[in-house]
Amino acid sequence: MKRFVFLLVVLTMLLAACAPSVAISQSAATNPPVTADAPTVAGELDLNNWDSVLAAAKGQTVNWYIWGGSDSINAFVDNFYGVALRERYGITLNRVPLADTADAVNQVLSEKQAGKEIGAVDLIWINGENFFTLKQADMLYKDWAQQLPNSQYVNWENPAINLDFGNPVENMESPWSSAQFQFIYDSARTNANELPRSYAELKDWACAHPGRFTYIAPGPGGFLGTRFAKGALYEVGGGAEQWLNFDQALWDQWSPELWKYFNELEPCLWRNGETYPKDESELVNLFANNEVDFSMTNDITGAGRWIADGRMPKTARAFVFEKYMIGDFNYVSIPLNAPNKAAALVLANLLLEPEFQAAQILPENGFGLGYAIDVDRVTDKTAQTALQNAAAKLGDSATPASDLANSLVGDSAAEYPNLLEQGWQENVLQK
Amino acid sequence: MSRYNQMKHTFTYTLRILLYLILIAPLLLFAAYAFSTRWFFPQPFPVEWTMGTFQRAINDSRTLSSMAQGVWIAFLVSILSLILALPTARVLGLRKFRGRQLAWLLLFLPTVIPPLAVGMGLNILFLRIGLAGTITGVVLAHIIPTLPYTIFTLSSAFARFDENYEYQALALGASPWQIFLKVTLRMMTPSLVVATLFAFLISWSQYLLTLLIGGGQVITLPILLFSAASGGNPSIIAMLSLLFVAPPVMVIAFTARSLNQHGNEIREQY
Repeated sequence: MKRFVFLLVVLTMLLAACAPSVAISQSAATNPPVTADAPTVAGELDLNNWDSVLAAAKGQTVNWYIWGGSDSINAFVDNFYGVALRERYGITLNRVPLADTADAVNQVLSEKQAGKEIGAVDLIWINGENFFTLKQADMLYKDWAQQLPNSQYVNWENPAINLDFGNPVENMESPWSSAQFQFIYDSARTNANELPRSYAELKDWACAHPGRFTYIAPGPGGFLGTRFAKGALYEVGGGAEQWLNFDQALWDQWSPELWKYFNELEPCLWRNGETYPKDESELVNLFANNEVDFSMTNDITGAGRWIADGRMPKTARAFVFEKYMIGDFNYVSIPLNAPNKAAALVLANLLLEPEFQAAQILPENGFGLGYAIDVDRVTDKTAQTALQNAAAKLGDSATPASDLANSLVGDSAAEYPNLLEQGWQENVLQK
Repeated sequence: MSRYNQMKHTFTYTLRILLYLILIAPLLLFAAYAFSTRWFFPQPFPVEWTMGTFQRAINDSRTLSSMAQGVWIAFLVSILSLILALPTARVLGLRKFRGRQLAWLLLFLPTVIPPLAVGMGLNILFLRIGLAGTITGVVLAHIIPTLPYTIFTLSSAFARFDENYEYQALALGASPWQIFLKVTLRMMTPSLVVATLFAFLISWSQYLLTLLIGGGQVITLPILLFSAASGGNPSIIAMLSLLFVAPPVMVIAFTARSLNQHGNEIREQY
């Protein structure tokens, strides 16, 4: 029996010895700089000397934690940024696909709790609440976004860029792309002349076509639904500008109007408004399977990405109301304990490269969101042409740029979404 | 009489085909989704067939590497949990002692405690001792949910195990090592195979513990599958699901064969 126990111990040790050796070779393959580049970990990067950042980044692997639910976005990230990082900077891109960006936030928060100075996450695709959480936890790398060479193309004066859901960006995240709320219809089913062009017209349309419209329930995960409801608030509540700053009295004054609008709309909705799709994907399925006539999107390419993904018929088209189509930006941020900060900085800078900004809006490339840069700030002639050409090639499934610009409004102050989501639950869903 | 036999024969035959159909129908539906696109209501069958999803899944280096990593982890988990479970199950199955019930309870706790609760705490601990984000850490974490099943399978086999075979071998001059290999292990083989199978399947399909402990650095197929599911694209979800069921089906097919063979061998011996 003793020998047996001894054998067990030896076997266990053998296995234990073999498992870590695999893990170490694995992490050595993906994270060589953890040990090799101690200065980058200690945050001694000199951002004013970009060449030194490039030198430090060479050979690193950047672990980019990014929502992985869209096949075409995954392919775009690998084929464009992944290839460019390897060929131009000698950086390996490790795209970590997430089911929810909050998973990356939790990872960083756990690392903080465990006191880990060298974490796992280098870059996160982020905005809104997730950004706010990490900022509050003091787990974001600071003072870098405006130091990126390509930051010169970003209009940091724009409140839609320097505020993320009303929360000051404060140089802790760098924009990647822009989005604007739009609707989608199927040109084979619905005549373009009959499309509603305001929330009031939408209500009339819905009641003339009972059961053929629904919207995403405002709430966590129902981000587009919240945005749809905010647009309605702007229309019934006296315009967009007054909602930029938080004012409880203003909310108390106008929110009853909003509930009135939604409650009048409700009996005309899909399933009489007894239930609502909980996220974008569910609404897309209802739309594609001919249960409702409109879907919603944030993409500058309109229905382009959904068509490329095979989720919508090729006749799907985007349209906007005349007013109150909310637009905003999304960002990337670097955790304070990121192991490969130099490579993360190079990637964040690459995202703003005019050439890649032009590539990201083309529908055939599968990303579908809009520019983060201000095209007028680009002086290089070839880049300028590329950007203009890309904007001209958005295709039939996108909303014309002039319509987007005319209907564009900024997002409200950060306090309203919560009030709206809670109020909608109490005054619309449960009524 | 022969007519009755024939009826019986047809009946079992029909039932058998029905069973196969029920088993294979979900896979066929998955295949239909995986190799088609734009399949919308009211089309009864897909109209646009495509290999595009398959090609994208295969060309994405992450797909195959995640499968290889998942198989490797499941393999290590199976072996480690067997090594831990075998002595435990022997004692629990063969001996009566004070605190046996308590030991059972402790060993079975992981099946009732939500893995999220275990995973969150374990992640912090593993981060501190440097195991988070490593394959070792993920393997150790996977042992938590697999161990109860391997112990349970093996201990019920040990409960039917007659130690006198071992004493007989000892009396005939076999060394303890020979007894372990040629008597104990040999008689336990069918249960060992089943226990390994349980461990492999549980580890292979772990999402939460892999996500929490792996922290995005250890990527297995369930991680890719959940991330794809969050986007709701039926084609890619179906494709990854097909890839997901492939190794378990292969393992089951393999073990079913070895179990059958072993069963025959045992029958021959007696």
